[in-house]
Amino acid sequence: MTLVGQGAAPGLGAGPAGPSTPQPPSGGLRKLGSARWRRRNLTFDKISFFGVFLVVPLVLYIAFVVSPFVQAAYFSLTSWSGFSPEIPFVGLKNYVKLFGDDTFMKAVGNSVILALVLPTVTLGLAMFFATLVTVGGSSRGNVRGLAGSSAYRIVSFFPYVIPAIVIGLIWSQIYDPNSGILNGVLTRVGLDQFTSFPWLGEVSTARLAVMFVIVWGLVGFYMVLFIAAIKGIPAELFEAARVDGAGRFRTTVSITIPLVRDNIQTAYVYMGILALDAFVYMAALEPGGGPENTTLVMSQQLFTTAFTKGQFGYACAMGVVLAVITLAYAGLVFAVNRLTGGQNEVAE
Amino acid sequence: MTSSLSTLRSFDRRNFLRGGLAAAALAATGGLAGCATSGTGPAPAASSAAGPTSADNPFGLAANSSTEAVIFKGGYGIDYADFAGKTMQTKQAGSTVKVTPATNIAQTLQPRFVAGNPPDVIDNSGANLIGINTIRDQLADLTDLVDANNYEGQKIAGTLYPGVLAPGTFDGKLVQLNYALTVYALWYSASLFESEGWTVPKTYDEMFELGGKAKAKGKYLLGWGKEAATYYQTMAIASAIKQGGNDVRLALENLKPDAWSMQPVQDVFNGLKKIIDAGYVKKGGAGTQFTAAQAQWSNDQDFLLYPSGSWIENEMKTQTKDGFKMTGAPEPTVSSTSAMPWEALHSTAAEGYVVPAQAKNLAGGKEFLRAMLSKDAATNFAKTTFSSTIVKGLIPEDGFGSTALQSQVKMLDAAAANVFSWNFVDLYGTNTDQLVLWNAFLQGDSDVATLTKGLQSITDKIAKDDSIKKVPVS
Repeated sequence: MTLVGQGAAPGLGAGPAGPSTPQPPSGGLRKLGSARWRRRNLTFDKISFFGVFLVVPLVLYIAFVVSPFVQAAYFSLTSWSGFSPEIPFVGLKNYVKLFGDDTFMKAVGNSVILALVLPTVTLGLAMFFATLVTVGGSSRGNVRGLAGSSAYRIVSFFPYVIPAIVIGLIWSQIYDPNSGILNGVLTRVGLDQFTSFPWLGEVSTARLAVMFVIVWGLVGFYMVLFIAAIKGIPAELFEAARVDGAGRFRTTVSITIPLVRDNIQTAYVYMGILALDAFVYMAALEPGGGPENTTLVMSQQLFTTAFTKGQFGYACAMGVVLAVITLAYAGLVFAVNRLTGGQNEVAE
Repeated sequence: MTSSLSTLRSFDRRNFLRGGLAAAALAATGGLAGCATSGTGPAPAASSAAGPTSADNPFGLAANSSTEAVIFKGGYGIDYADFAGKTMQTKQAGSTVKVTPATNIAQTLQPRFVAGNPPDVIDNSGANLIGINTIRDQLADLTDLVDANNYEGQKIAGTLYPGVLAPGTFDGKLVQLNYALTVYALWYSASLFESEGWTVPKTYDEMFELGGKAKAKGKYLLGWGKEAATYYQTMAIASAIKQGGNDVRLALENLKPDAWSMQPVQDVFNGLKKIIDAGYVKKGGAGTQFTAAQAQWSNDQDFLLYPSGSWIENEMKTQTKDGFKMTGAPEPTVSSTSAMPWEALHSTAAEGYVVPAQAKNLAGGKEFLRAMLSKDAATNFAKTTFSSTIVKGLIPEDGFGSTALQSQVKMLDAAAANVFSWNFVDLYGTNTDQLVLWNAFLQGDSDVATLTKGLQSITDKIAKDDSIKKVPVS
């Protein structure tokens, strides 16, 4: 293993290649040597490995991911209606129109707010709960979670098992101004200002109400993800911290979070992508974009533009903007992680 | 062994995973991929070889041909279309009709339009219909259909209610046959009004007064649901047209600047605003699903009047109180000196049937519509859905036992030639944007000026956008 690692004599490890000429351990020659070594070793094993693990996925990826992207990017430069074989080219006109379209800009703003707030809140809560059920228990004896933690773990995962659209429909009933359980409870305890209060219809509450639903639906999943990560940390570390007098909060900040940082980064990216999309939740809760469009998101506006207004070219331009924002978001998360001392690697 | 291990190493697992995450991020931006087509289709297939035409076969339906009909499966179901298909198979022996239900017409048929192989006839309806302005260039002219004789030997055009072809006619070409007659009205419970001794308001002032009486009984005058807030826009436009005459309709239809600031429109908005400010509108509509809101009217009787189309009876069939006696009245005017009488009616036809010009069996598509317009099929539709088709004179006195259908026929008779409708909201797909404004207005969060400004800016945006085809109305 050491020999291979040094690269001084790559051939030594490769039985079939036979004894190779000794190479001086210089960088340039090493490269040459390894190139020759690779050429000589194109066995059936290796080629079939390439075929199965590289070529097939690559072909599928190009056919079903790259080519639709390229097509969509091209359509964004046309005024295609979506229903005719004619696709008139209009250049960047759609993009110019986009940036002057206040409804779409409002949707962009809403999506960005969701992408900033939702991951922070969801993952913060998920981390809090995960800590409680793994290391937040009694400070005597072994490091462990709260009593009955396995029950909490199962229960909090329930919402994730329900499809997003069902969650949306359930909550739209809960929020119903006149027959919903929320106002029913609030008015029963004497808060009469909530009689017929439209949670999803007031500018001041609509956005909070939908964000609550999304957090509710996903916090359990990320909690389970973090629990798995925390379980991977050796218990001795927590014990040592405890011996040193660290409280639960200090342990979380100084031990847990730095050690599961990669998981947090990955979770942040995924949660952010979900927040930038949010289509299913919005379609169930606020199909019309909410009061004064405060909950309108880009994906909704894209859908209406394409199918109701018959402007597929324009809708594709929206899609391109959404993709750029999503990639920028992922880049931002990586950058922040690296700047704050992370390794900018995905969890391995 | 060592060899293959080192080979694995050289792939750099980290780069693999990093790429994988980036790919996942990209794949998740599904909105982008969703725009892609399955490839633009081949050149349109030539329409089928048509057979010889005759009095019984005016479009030259080829012998033993098959016709594909895609029918929107919504409130009316598809049984009536199956019935029409069988009627056609009986009349044109040997031909077959395949009726396929669909709920999302635009999403289902978009690839087929692009590929140039659309079905022979489509019921382009429902929340996800294809905007008619988007496809009208690709549709067959149905003028020869209405000029042909029906299965009873009468010219079809002569058997229809007045004005029902207008909503499907663009630039002089009839591209869409709207099958179900829709009467827009202010609906109420005749039994409740009778027992309370109330009369139907004919102006906004009378409505305001009725609101006071309703309040005394612990009820509201009006109510709404969040997806249907624009039913009030529909009522407001109808009232304004009745008040101000055709000029109002033309200004709105042709997207004129300041169309929404016209006096009749403003008078209607102010009339509504007074009712809203007095607290006669049930709160919470902006957060209520529209059928739930409608049940507050038809089942709980929390509020008295609901502006809607005549589909309302069928829509609320299972959620209407026994003995409700749902009845419609024409929408109110501003004053008794309006340009059109109070009896004037906003009536149009819905369930738009289209025959794509590229259909393989164009004649079959038209023949199917001819079967739909036959006496048997049209009567069957009315009987099973409690809605009138555009074919007149098929509803008996008792309206098949439906008070709503009775009142519908009565209103149409009273209106005579004073029937109007407009297209611009559906044509330019502005309903979604307008909903936002109406929810705020009905909730009492915005005033008449805000509403007017908002509606006007939606109109102006379309008027200025030269990528949208305009349909001039005169």
